Amino acid sequence: MKRIIVISPLIILFIICLFTLFYIIGNKDPNKPPSALLNKNLPSFTSKSLFDNEIILTDNDLRNKKIIINFFASWCTPCKVEHPLFFELAEQYPDLYILGFNHKDAAKDAKNYLKDEGNPYTFVGVDKDGLIALDFGVFGLPETFLINEKGKIVYKYMGPLTDKIIKDEIQPRL
Amino acid sequence: MKFNHACKLILKNLFLIFILTSGVHGNENVNDKVKKLTLELRCMTCQNQSIYDSDADFSIDIKKLVKQKFHEGKTESEIKKFLVERYGEYILFRPLINFKNLFLWLFPFTILAIVTVFLIFSARKK
Repeated sequence: MKRIIVISPLIILFIICLFTLFYIIGNKDPNKPPSALLNKNLPSFTSKSLFDNEIILTDNDLRNKKIIINFFASWCTPCKVEHPLFFELAEQYPDLYILGFNHKDAAKDAKNYLKDEGNPYTFVGVDKDGLIALDFGVFGLPETFLINEKGKIVYKYMGPLTDKIIKDEIQPRL
Repeated sequence: MKFNHACKLILKNLFLIFILTSGVHGNENVNDKVKKLTLELRCMTCQNQSIYDSDADFSIDIKKLVKQKFHEGKTESEIKKFLVERYGEYILFRPLINFKNLFLWLFPFTILAIVTVFLIFSARKK
C-alpha cells in the first residue's frame, strides 16, 4: 500500500504525459497545420479580373454572401483534379459565390487553362505577385476557403478537394 | 584659394564615401536581421527546414516580405506578429510565451519538480 502511495505521483505523471501526447498527435497532420485565419474576418483585398483589367473586385463587394475562395494556377496539377468539383458546387448552390484567385500565373496560360477545363468561377481574380495568397496564409496550391454571410472564414482546406471533403465538410456549412 | 578648393574637394569626397558606406552598412544590417529572423521561421512546405535555409517558392516569398518589412521600419516582433496572424504559430520554431502555451513552457519544470520531490522522499526513506 505504502509503495503505491510512493509511486502514485509517477503514475499520475505518466497519465498526464499520455494525455498530452494524444492531444498533440491526435488527428493532426503536421503537413496540414490548422489555419490561423479560421473564424476570423475575410482579409481585405483588391484584385483585377483575369479577363478584364478594368473590372476590380474587393472584399467589400462580397458582403452578405456565401463564398468559396479557391487559389489555383495553370501550372498546378492537383488543381486540375479538383476543378470539376466546382462545377458541381456551382450547379447545386446557384447563390454560392465561387471566387478563384489565379496565383502567380501568366494571364495567357490561365486563360487557356480555363478555356480547356472550363470556368466554374463567378469571378477570377489575379494574384500575380502572390500578395493576396500571403494575406490568406496560403503556402501551397490548391487551397480553398469557405466564408459565411458574416464574412468569417469558417473552413479551410489545403490540397485538392474531394467528393468526401465536399460532402463531409463543405456542404454542411453551406 | 587652392587650399580652400582642396579642402572642399576632400570634404565632398568624405561625404560621398560616408553616404555610400552607410548605405552598404544599412543593407548589411537589414540582411543580417533578415537572416536572424528567417532562421527562426519554419518553411511550411519543407520538412523541418528554416525559411532561411530553404529555396522553396514559399520561403523565397517570405524572405522578400521580411526584407521589405524591415526596410519599412517594422521591428522583428511586428513582423513575427504579422506572420503568426496569417500562418499561425506553426511558422515559428520557438512557440510564443503566452497563456495558451504556458503548459508547454512549464511542463519540463513540473516534471523536474515532481521527480526531485520523488527522489528526495525515496532517498530519505533509504
